Amino acid sequence: MMRNKVLAVDYHKCIGCRICEQWCSLSHHGVISPVKARVKVHRIEETGANIPVICTQCNPAPCVSICPENALSRDLKTGAVRVNDDLCVACRKCMNACPNGAISLDTSGETVLICDLCKGKPQCVAQCPTNSLTYVLPEIVGREQRTRIARCFEKGGRE
Amino acid sequence: MEKIPVSSTGKLLRVNLSSKEISQESIPFHVYRDYLGGRGAGAYYLLKELAKGVDPLSEDNKLVFFTGPVIGTLAPGSNKVSVTFKSPLTNTYSMSLCGGFWGPELKFAGYDALIIEGKSEKPVYLWIDNGEVSLKAAEHLWGQLIPKASDEVKKELGNDNTIRVACIGPAGEKLNKMACITADRHREFGRGGAGAVMGSKNLKAIAVRGTGEIQMSQKGKMASLVKTLYQEFKGHPKANARTRYGTVEMLEGINNLGFWSTRNFSQGYFEGGEKLVGPKMRDDIVVSDASCYACPIGCGKNARVYYKGSRVHLEGPEFETVGLLGANCGVDDWESILKATEICDYYGMDTMAVGATISFAMECFEKGIIGLKDTDNIELKFGNGDALVSLAEKIANRDGFGDLLAEGVKIASEKLNAQDYAMHSKGLPLATYDPRGCKGMALTYATSPKGAHHMISPTMGAEIPGDRFAEEGKAGLVKDTQIQMALVDSLGFCSTMRFVLSVDKQQQLLELGSGLEISKEDMFKIGERILNIERLFNIREGFNRKDDTLPNRFLKEVIKEGLSAGHSINLEKMLDEYYQVMGWDRNGIPEESKLAELNISQFGNK
Ligand code: SF4
Repeated sequence: MMRNKVLAVDYHKCIGCRICEQWCSLSHHGVISPVKARVKVHRIEETGANIPVICTQCNPAPCVSICPENALSRDLKTGAVRVNDDLCVACRKCMNACPNGAISLDTSGETVLICDLCKGKPQCVAQCPTNSLTYVLPEIVGREQRTRIARCFEKGGRE
Repeated sequence: MEKIPVSSTGKLLRVNLSSKEISQESIPFHVYRDYLGGRGAGAYYLLKELAKGVDPLSEDNKLVFFTGPVIGTLAPGSNKVSVTFKSPLTNTYSMSLCGGFWGPELKFAGYDALIIEGKSEKPVYLWIDNGEVSLKAAEHLWGQLIPKASDEVKKELGNDNTIRVACIGPAGEKLNKMACITADRHREFGRGGAGAVMGSKNLKAIAVRGTGEIQMSQKGKMASLVKTLYQEFKGHPKANARTRYGTVEMLEGINNLGFWSTRNFSQGYFEGGEKLVGPKMRDDIVVSDASCYACPIGCGKNARVYYKGSRVHLEGPEFETVGLLGANCGVDDWESILKATEICDYYGMDTMAVGATISFAMECFEKGIIGLKDTDNIELKFGNGDALVSLAEKIANRDGFGDLLAEGVKIASEKLNAQDYAMHSKGLPLATYDPRGCKGMALTYATSPKGAHHMISPTMGAEIPGDRFAEEGKAGLVKDTQIQMALVDSLGFCSTMRFVLSVDKQQQLLELGSGLEISKEDMFKIGERILNIERLFNIREGFNRKDDTLPNRFLKEVIKEGLSAGHSINLEKMLDEYYQVMGWDRNGIPEESKLAELNISQFGNK
């Protein structure tokens, strides 16, 4: 299989604007609706931390393996998981299997919402104002975090 | 009947706490056409529904929450929801705006607006779960601080982190006149005492969950416009400054120009300001950035300090808080400022009003009007950070000396016979700009319908490059700015957006989102109509020219040092000019011809 890029998130940079959610629901459903977005930003109010929850394109993907209806498959071009709405019976097994909690049930209750990487041009990444979300080759994931952590050590382990 | 705007839900939820009746109404098209939403529509409903002379803390007062037509579209910075009410602090029309996520959630739940009326016998909270709306017992939440209460409500409703809670703290319950309503723990309907109104109704919280969707009229065009706007923001110096330093970016400029209110507005320059400027703040206390819904700028700053060994972690500080709890009290250390802010945030009080009230008390103490026996032994000297913290706590609890101050600076000063040191207009304390150093602000404070509020027309930006001390000619600028702010506030934009979105851009976003086609000329007319509606409310309550005034200090004393030295204010001349450009008579009452021009003759009460 050809090497595909993956979605990655650096939550240190996320400000919780949820602009990613807006563009996601717009590009897939033509409306603005946080519950219809495949990317979801979880704010921890106590600390103000913002954690964007995304599909990490696991390989092999637990959601695909567990689907009893064969409703999920890989898009060969992008490596994204595709949902066949006609086959999906909304049994939610994939939701439970997803290690990220990145799958949700559609408002119709009849199918699930999984990130499809917008055919290789993820809208959430394109519009994120802080570059908290990136779309990169797997081996690039985490470089920036590593730089930050290295700097931390240099300063004696303090922020 | 004409259709409602595409990006609106067209629905208003009405909750009567006395009868426990919960109902839905449609919002007529003319409300959107004439007032857009938010602040404008709120003022319209309040004027229409509130009888003359209502006691703000009685069951006859209402809380009118209104979102704007751009909220829930792609429009950047669209998240402000307004609450309109008669203020217990000023007895005038009042309105506060709140960012964050609560307003958008209300809209996703299917409502453009929410009106709370009546008074519950026992403490309750309101749960809006899309179309299912109910009142729940809240006796067990009464007395709880805001973070705890909001968490508790969420837990009770199923531990769903996406539920948005707006609630009051003990200050609101105790009818503290400076109490605010706090949404998402950190975002406030701050000024004017909305929290006390909510407390008087025995309403602890309003929890919302919305899973609906918002449509746009021309989504393709909207998407491309918004993409170019994002790019423009990236290159915009003002936007960049806010991203980095929040609103504190303004501190240095205002301080250096000598009109940063210091020591209860007795000085215009704060020498301790150097410790509090944006870059210092960023280096010393900021741990991360935060944004409201749909805003790429993210002026929110999470900060952390240790006050006497205990950790203070909150979203803030913003410029007004640093000004009023800091400079105006002569306090220059982050620890005390943030601790006092935390008390305000936890108990639910307006940091600005509390800061101004404490600085008033400090001046009274320094002048010997009150002594240790009056202040419960607190050494209320300017610059005493510990005193600031203790007094904030006393005000929050209405404890001892704090009980008097919880009535607001106007009442407190009357009781202490120290009116000359109470820096307010119509009962609302001033913001952190000394109007002697920027004369448009003088007119802004004096004529604001909700008391001395700076955001009714922040003219600083326009005045600083020109002649900020000139008095003549400022009336026109103030009128224009007031109109522009009325539009921003009614559309649902955050006020920061005015730096990056011209009225043309706002109008385009409105049109592409909602389908409402309104010419620029008509936009200005809407803004003017809103100002007049607000004015008519106050006229009905007996306010007029005599109330459009400023503290004596600004009229009689000059600023002594710094770049604004030597200036005081000739308000009367400015007022004459302002009334004239507004089409109001010498007493500040709108002329019938003006009301006819704006199509609001039915509200005239001459
Ligand atoms: S768009 Fe970027 S910064 Fe904004 S919430 Fe999403 S990930 Fe965070």
